[in-house]
Amino acid sequence: MAREAIGGQVSIETMTRNATGMQQTQIKPLRILILGGTGFIGPHQVEYALSRGHTVTLFNRGQTNPGLFPNVEKLIGDRNAADGYASLKGRTWDVVIDNPTQIPRWVKEAGVALKDSTQRYVFVSTLSTYKNRGPIGLTELSGTMSEPASIDAVPAGFAPPDPSRPTSTYGSLKVRCEMEARAIFGDKALIVRPGLIVGPGDLTDRFSYWPVRIEQGGEVLAPGTPDDSVAFIDARDLTEWMIRLCEGQANGTYNAVGPRYGLTVAQMLYGIKAVTSSTATFTWVDADFLLERKLRPYSELPVWMPPRGDSAGWARMDCSKAWNAGLTFRPLADTARETLVYYHSQTPERQATLKAGLPPEKEHEALAAWHAKIGK
Amino acid sequence: MTLDRRTFLKSSALLGGALSLGALPTLARAMTADGVDARAELRGSDRTVTPLRILILGGTGFIGPYQVKYALDRGHKVTLFNRGKTNADLFPDVPRLIGDRNLPDGHKALESGEWDVVIDNPTANPKWVRDAGKALKGRTKHYIFVSTISVFSDNSKTVDENGPLNVPSDIDAPFDAAKYGSNKVRSEQEAKTQFGSNLTIVRPGLIVGPGDLSDRFSYWPVRIDKGGEILSPGTPDDPAQYVDALDLSQWIVRLAEQRVFGTFNATGPKTPTTISEMLYGIKAVTTSDARFTWVPADFLAEKQVRGWTEMPVWVPPMGATAGFMRVNCTKAWNAGLTFRPLADTAKDTLTWYHSRPAAEQEKARAGIAPEKEQAVLAAWHAKQLAAK
Repeated sequence: MAREAIGGQVSIETMTRNATGMQQTQIKPLRILILGGTGFIGPHQVEYALSRGHTVTLFNRGQTNPGLFPNVEKLIGDRNAADGYASLKGRTWDVVIDNPTQIPRWVKEAGVALKDSTQRYVFVSTLSTYKNRGPIGLTELSGTMSEPASIDAVPAGFAPPDPSRPTSTYGSLKVRCEMEARAIFGDKALIVRPGLIVGPGDLTDRFSYWPVRIEQGGEVLAPGTPDDSVAFIDARDLTEWMIRLCEGQANGTYNAVGPRYGLTVAQMLYGIKAVTSSTATFTWVDADFLLERKLRPYSELPVWMPPRGDSAGWARMDCSKAWNAGLTFRPLADTARETLVYYHSQTPERQATLKAGLPPEKEHEALAAWHAKIGK
Repeated sequence: MTLDRRTFLKSSALLGGALSLGALPTLARAMTADGVDARAELRGSDRTVTPLRILILGGTGFIGPYQVKYALDRGHKVTLFNRGKTNADLFPDVPRLIGDRNLPDGHKALESGEWDVVIDNPTANPKWVRDAGKALKGRTKHYIFVSTISVFSDNSKTVDENGPLNVPSDIDAPFDAAKYGSNKVRSEQEAKTQFGSNLTIVRPGLIVGPGDLSDRFSYWPVRIDKGGEILSPGTPDDPAQYVDALDLSQWIVRLAEQRVFGTFNATGPKTPTTISEMLYGIKAVTTSDARFTWVPADFLAEKQVRGWTEMPVWVPPMGATAGFMRVNCTKAWNAGLTFRPLADTAKDTLTWYHSRPAAEQEKARAGIAPEKEQAVLAAWHAKQLAAK
């Protein structure tokens, strides 16, 4: 158990290298083009791909974390611009990984630019493509997909605003993106549908809230009942597996969330507490009370969804196809500890503004109201 | 279920005895390979500490090596006193006085030398304290006696250091290891007689971590790592207390540095911790498929599953043992006892356990036998089904 926290600044590269372990020798080196590559999951892919002897090229605007990977080839392009893909012309790759896309037109245009110059197109989709998450054990074949968005649709808040383009939901956009990817790349398409991606580098704090909150100690509002199911995937587990899928020339569609054997929210919270010396105690507040007080599952109460109605199956999707295809999960303690190390490596301003979870005041009020209600 | 208190005390005494009698010589390799060295910490830190001359009675069992390593790291001069039999190759550079405390002349080697502090680790026999006191008379400024929370006679409620104690055993009667709590009470009294107020009595709860040959915590990491359905005792909210040997040992050395006298209950963690927090926390260091089936105390009693030994770290949190896992240790916490994360203890314990010879790993000294666990789980499920 490395104790990197002491040094303060910990780069994503360092942590990934530690997590990756041995290089294997019999892998055929691939030429991998990563669209994006400098956000949350991209850097983990890059590090792992390099550690396995692959050649990596990044394609992006050169604006997000431009100092990352100075020794990796970077092609510049803006996927919103008219000739955005010009820098890809005349090149060929074994694999293209498209990380950041929820805009169907981006997939279509990437397809035009890359159709004949790659052996494989990997699209990072989402479990949010399933509209009805009521059933337990949804598989890749479950007919519960959102209506596809139109090819011109964009997410709400898309910038720059373009009144001629309709807005659509995340799930619908991703469904349409998948359709485009399959239409263009056919058997060359590999579509991965992750659940909540967590770990070092996560800018949404949708898991990080818990390690940070628990480390702070005191009475923690714990959502629902201890036995409610939760599901998430460490960004390193996801990205390392994606690279291995490419090495194995996989195609098709995969749900991808974990851990493999299921986890309850109590196991998650107590497991996180185990990496700290915190004085946290947990008060379990039932779902009805939380919903009455309009505390929002997943965002204010991260990771957790009420195990009922159309979210009953959210944390219990069937990922056996991915497991059989080599998706593995590191111990929760590693994810929790390294998430904390990453969090503490950020600026004080960033640390003070968590983007998910209950604000302290709101948590305090809800706990007081809960104690009043149950009379203790 | 009512805990068989005598059984519990007896097993504690036997396990404690096994440690101090050095019945398990392979510990040395394991400790140096994966225990103490791997856990060395704070090397060279705290340079303002005044170097002490520390004499450790014992020092080569479970907690002793952690004390030695930490004391050396902090610049102290350590001398060991023991029979030279248990893990004799540990710490070749540390001076060693030889003596067998069961012999009439056993403490003779202590009759010279000056010490800032003497730490008495292995003693359950009050005669040993008396003989040590006589041999060391006037030549140590501080005596630290490692006692036990088993000194308390009433475990039905939370106690602090002033809780009622067991009837002390007769110091001149033939030693009976089964009277563990009474022997420790008498030993504490004898320590006061011999060393007066320059005395610290530390009463640990269940001591856990790498090097523990009693397997009383190790059972859980090992069992959870194996996976499958796990018989989990009582309710998820039942209390659990334990202390990592490393935390305990390092704190004892700091007590010596700061010349802190008095009596301290010493277990953790710092906030009330439940058995489910412990089991789920252990699971977090594995990738196991473990799932936990909580079986109530009365059903366990009916199936003659014993708390503490077969279901380690747990006793029924009711009746005669309601307070056993709720000992008040505020005084020790205020005196600097700290607790490392459970994940570290669990992972280090697993690593150490797997470094032991296969034959030792198979002969776990605590925890329910696999067949019995299966049978109890099956009976519990049958009862649940019948109730539907």
